[in-house]
Amino acid sequence: MDEREDVKPMLEHLPLVQAPDAIWTSIEAALDQHHSPARRRWLWAFAAAAVVALLAIGYWSVGRQAGQWIETDSKSRTTVRIGEIGFVEIEPGTRVRVVTERPDEHRLMLARGEIRAKISAPPKLFFVDTASGTAVDLGCEYTLTDDELGRGLLQVTKGWVSFQWKHLESLVPAGASCRTYPKIGPGIPYFDDASQRLKEALENLGVEKSADDPLEIILAEARVRDTLTLWHLLQRVPAGDRARVYDRIAALTPVPQGVSRERALKLDPDTLKLWKDELAWKW
Amino acid sequence: MLNFKLGIAALTFATLAAWAHPGTFAFTIGNPVASQDFHFKTAAFLFRTESCADPAKAQITATAEGVVKGARQSVPLKVMLASTKPGVYAVNQSWPAEGDWVVSLRGTCGGASAGAIVPMGPKGFIRESLEFFPRPATDAEIDASLKALPEEKNK
Repeated sequence: MDEREDVKPMLEHLPLVQAPDAIWTSIEAALDQHHSPARRRWLWAFAAAAVVALLAIGYWSVGRQAGQWIETDSKSRTTVRIGEIGFVEIEPGTRVRVVTERPDEHRLMLARGEIRAKISAPPKLFFVDTASGTAVDLGCEYTLTDDELGRGLLQVTKGWVSFQWKHLESLVPAGASCRTYPKIGPGIPYFDDASQRLKEALENLGVEKSADDPLEIILAEARVRDTLTLWHLLQRVPAGDRARVYDRIAALTPVPQGVSRERALKLDPDTLKLWKDELAWKW
Repeated sequence: MLNFKLGIAALTFATLAAWAHPGTFAFTIGNPVASQDFHFKTAAFLFRTESCADPAKAQITATAEGVVKGARQSVPLKVMLASTKPGVYAVNQSWPAEGDWVVSLRGTCGGASAGAIVPMGPKGFIRESLEFFPRPATDAEIDASLKALPEEKNK
């Protein structure tokens, strides 16, 4: 049997990936210059090999199926194409499962390791589940790491990511990060250029044996841009502390029309959204 | 009696005018996250008009003004209107990466005009160095901003 017949069924299952135009241009140019039949055969063999290689790469990047695990060892990395909306780079030492692969929902599960997502699509098409919640793409680029215990770190470089766990949500814009904890969910996001004292105080928030009052430190350290942190904090601190947070935000930047202290302290969703949309101009 | 009626009319007009234009026409500058529009996530910055009764009729232009290897350059920029919020625009970086650059915004709304100089740093616009004017920025003001930019970038 002809070897080509063995290969044919395999090739039929591979997706078509267009070869770069430069390949054909360079081949034609080379053929024009050299008319030796032997040389011409070598060039065609090279072209065929290049096309097969592209098909194989295309298969790797396109042919993901729900339920499939992707695992990289300590030295390897790979890139997974997410439908038509972007890519996810899978860093060394990472284990990821493809949960859903549909045009209206692309969902991965990060068991451990690090992924870098670059998505260009309307919000809520790409999701990454972790032990501490779900990263919901709102049109963004971000890095998500998760250790063996399920503790994670979300770092956003472009756009927004919403990290959700049960009824808890952290909105993380470009330039900000958020720690995530198993069975607790997302922590409070902070800008990467915030003071070290503010970041450490966020880690100590809720820790009873902390020497200083972490909330006091956060309020004192907060800049205008850190109203991102304070806006989230308002919704997480005990009711008795909300006024302290509200007053600090109000001192840093004017409270917009439509936001009342009373409704903000009651955590009225419409009021908080209106305030967040306005504060975002300072983030 | 006539004076009283004129006074009432003037007061009414002033009140209506204040309601229509509660502030001065101006720009607010923000990072791309302010728009919540994924199309703008790679924008250099966003801006919006303030106190413009009809943002759709505002006339806005943007120009990148820069110095590259000692030579002064100007690059007209395209401003993109957000589809989700009226009066919100995005500016993409279409000026060279090399050199020092500021973006000069000019706008009119009704009879009012406004200007802003947006200094650009390696990580986006430099918020602390933004300058706003109740008119377009002059060439001298733009040149002064460009001259101060290398120091602002290092802060």
